[in-house]
Amino acid sequence: MADSDNLRAKVQEDVIRIMSETLEISPEEITTDLSFNTDLPFDSLQLYEFVIDVEETYNIRLPDELLDEVKTVNDMIDVVLKLSEQK
Amino acid sequence: MLNEEEQMSEALVRIFENVVLTEEKSLQAGYFKDLSIAEMHTLTAIGPYDARTMTNTAEDLGITTGTLTVAIDRLVKKGYVHRERDKRDKRIVRISLTHTGKLACRMNSKFHRVLAKHILAGYDANDRKHLLDLVDEVDRYVEQQLRRYDSSENVRATARQVAKDTTKEKKQNG
Repeated sequence: MADSDNLRAKVQEDVIRIMSETLEISPEEITTDLSFNTDLPFDSLQLYEFVIDVEETYNIRLPDELLDEVKTVNDMIDVVLKLSEQK
Repeated sequence: MLNEEEQMSEALVRIFENVVLTEEKSLQAGYFKDLSIAEMHTLTAIGPYDARTMTNTAEDLGITTGTLTVAIDRLVKKGYVHRERDKRDKRIVRISLTHTGKLACRMNSKFHRVLAKHILAGYDANDRKHLLDLVDEVDRYVEQQLRRYDSSENVRATARQVAKDTTKEKKQNG
């Protein structure tokens, strides 16, 4: 497996783990195609808890303007990957 | 009927008061009941990311470091702010938000964004641009007035300092 695939798998694992801890649901219930708006039961406080945990885990910044573009779990993984590589 | 100046003046005061009041009520009804509006603004001035110095944060808030110290003491006790001395220069105190502090700060930003979103939603793209241009102009004008007072305060402070130094010199010279 290429390094980039390994990194993506690691980010995916972390994002889903943090999400499942915040929402108190099993990681198996979370797939990368799920939508933040329609599929995932986040209230606004939980959403920011999740975002801050991801920021702290990867030492990145996820401002609201950027989050507006994130529609699915996959989008979030893409953004985290992109920002981690820019560091 | 009100004349234009009265209408503008009353609307400005009312908007300012109602935004602050709505913010305060949303705090009381929400997850961060133990925060006052002033404390929330202190958290916003620190910001959710890098640690800041007490001096810079006090400057941004337009208060003295003494006043900020009292506010920070309370916010540290409530678990919203982390405070530590600079490792190299012990005179410098750095403050940053805890996880809960970041959460409160982001929720408050969200409150402002949602308010703005709802205000803008009632207009088409052209009117939105026009409204934003006008609001920008009002903002710049009010800011300009504030700077005038700031600089006159600075002038007064310098004058006071010069007077103090002169008196000291006179005393020293007998």
